[in-house]
Amino acid sequence: KWLEAHYDPLANLYTFSSCIALGGTATPNSSQLVVGDLGTGVYNMKLKVYRGTSLVSENTLLDLPTGLVAFLMDQHEPRTPAVAVASGPFIYIYKNLRPYFKFTLPPLEVNALEQEVWSQAREDKIDPMSLKEMLEGIREKADVPLSVRSLKFLRLLRDLFVPLKVVSRDIALSLSGCVMSLPLPLRGTGGQNRSQSLVIIIIIITTTTFLLISVYFSCLSPSWKQSGARAQGDMRFRGAESVLLSSVCVCYRESTKPKYCIELSSHPVGLVRVGKNVVVGCTQETLHGFTQKGKKLWTAYLPAPITTMSLMDHHARGFQAVLVGLTNCQVHMYCDKNLVGVIKTPDMVTSICFGRYGREDGALIMTTKGTHLAVQTEQECASPRCRDEELQSPAGVTVGMRSSRVLRVLLDEELQSPAGVTVTGLAAPVSSSPPERGSASLARARACRLCSPVPCRPPPQVQGLGPSFKLTLNIQNTAACRPVMNLAVSFLYDESLYSMKSAFFKV
Amino acid sequence: MGLFDKLAGWLGIKKKEVHVLCLGLDNSGKTTIINKLKPSNAQTQDIVPTIGFSIEKFKTSSLSFTVFDMSGQGRYRNLWEHYYKEGQAIIFVIDSSDKLRMVVAKEELDTLLNHPDIKHRRMPILFFANKMDLRDALSSVKVSQLLCLENIKDKPWHICASDAVKGEGLQEGVDWLQGTV
Repeated sequence: KWLEAHYDPLANLYTFSSCIALGGTATPNSSQLVVGDLGTGVYNMKLKVYRGTSLVSENTLLDLPTGLVAFLMDQHEPRTPAVAVASGPFIYIYKNLRPYFKFTLPPLEVNALEQEVWSQAREDKIDPMSLKEMLEGIREKADVPLSVRSLKFLRLLRDLFVPLKVVSRDIALSLSGCVMSLPLPLRGTGGQNRSQSLVIIIIIITTTTFLLISVYFSCLSPSWKQSGARAQGDMRFRGAESVLLSSVCVCYRESTKPKYCIELSSHPVGLVRVGKNVVVGCTQETLHGFTQKGKKLWTAYLPAPITTMSLMDHHARGFQAVLVGLTNCQVHMYCDKNLVGVIKTPDMVTSICFGRYGREDGALIMTTKGTHLAVQTEQECASPRCRDEELQSPAGVTVGMRSSRVLRVLLDEELQSPAGVTVTGLAAPVSSSPPERGSASLARARACRLCSPVPCRPPPQVQGLGPSFKLTLNIQNTAACRPVMNLAVSFLYDESLYSMKSAFFKV
Repeated sequence: MGLFDKLAGWLGIKKKEVHVLCLGLDNSGKTTIINKLKPSNAQTQDIVPTIGFSIEKFKTSSLSFTVFDMSGQGRYRNLWEHYYKEGQAIIFVIDSSDKLRMVVAKEELDTLLNHPDIKHRRMPILFFANKMDLRDALSSVKVSQLLCLENIKDKPWHICASDAVKGEGLQEGVDWLQGTV
């Protein structure tokens, strides 16, 4: 059950899931919401910080933010909260929400031929028309992509050629990439003390052609080797390249070539990692689950196209799900391929973020297409957890049962005592082996005895620690040539201690 | 109650005992409020998050209060209902500066009021809109609006703004509670 904690239709936030993060403070009890606001998309880009329901600070960003992450910076206590914003070819680090450092991506090599052409143009040796022709020739043949300036030039109309040339005369030609992926914070080696080492994964993409140029990894706090082991598993190319290629590549450290490539039937729109698996949302209103090595696990069909995706990681409850925002103003919650929850929103959601906000553990923050901000909190008693006994069960009979742990132990003893089982084996040895789950044991053993002479050969298995657990009962026909049909199984149990959906069924 | 007890009550030697539940979300200031109500020599200096619950006793002019100071953390909130039967009054504390969780407080209050042990009893409920000293705190009127307190028809209730750290507004609330019980 979700409670609407806050809805601000005047928030004026235009952002995406990659530019929204929770954190930014040293103590988790007062965590803030940090949003990289895209403004109008051309200007008015801002880094906004919310505490509770109110906006506490704003910083102007120079370029469009493409990724944002909140992390803790120092090795020693007290740790300094920091925010990293990827924007254009830079990564800005805000320490205590004040500008602190700027990383610049190394410039890329410019095509020598292109440089030559431009230097000739500077000396007025070639006229704009032939310049254009030569650049077009380079674009078609060369493997290094053209710089932004050349591409802009090619788009221009003829009469604008001259002023452009004048303007660009003194500026050296440069080609720089753009950080398309957001940095990932990894939980460092010492999981207990919450040491977060920021391993930045930078994926450089030329702004125009979306070609993957290079992948950089760098590490801010502890040494690279420390986190290397963990990082290897977590490094993953986040589908930026896949925009054009409709495939997802899995890259490992120190290689620019993808190790695994997942071919998709349609273009991916979102990618989320859940545990060791990767969940990819595609344009064809489908959601695919893959292993890290690219093996397809499942496909789920959605009622509407996807607008955004995000991971819901509920630490306190050990529950992970994928949140998928859809164009029909709903947010679906998927645990593997099972839909475990639907949240209705007043507007189409463009970004989702789940985590601890303020003192609330399970806060879901969404911004919508109409630039609204919505915060919903999950109510404590609500349990969206995936009930595996229901979901994974085969077509056979499933019975959910609740009991406490102490009872379970008793139950086991009773089950394992051979008396209950062997005595029942009468002249008609029987079979029937649907995997059934369920219930209180002692009761069941006795039930078998009463209703039908069914020996239950391996004692029923009890899985889980409770309060609800699964009981697998295997009934086997040991007779060589006598079929057994129409068996009824009933469960006798103490109703004050256990509950079962149905205590009687036919096999 | 025997004749002697009644006599003692009239004479003011023995005070009537009242069991009070102190409820509210975590970090709303329940323990601070109870601590402030105790005599000054019994007060503790450092308040830590309550685990489970703690029992505190203090006396006013005519009543002797036994307060069950329940923990407000999410995982302990399901303990509340086990004490509803014994309680004769409820103190519900709200952090009026935490607008985001007002809806959570409302949800917990609604569950509380609809609980079978409480629903049909005329239990007085005292609300403290706490943390009034903070800059972005809501007024007590606004808090009662957000919690829809006007819908409570069958129980006497009272809301007062308070600042538990300084002790402002607490006495007013306890006086009301004393008069209603």
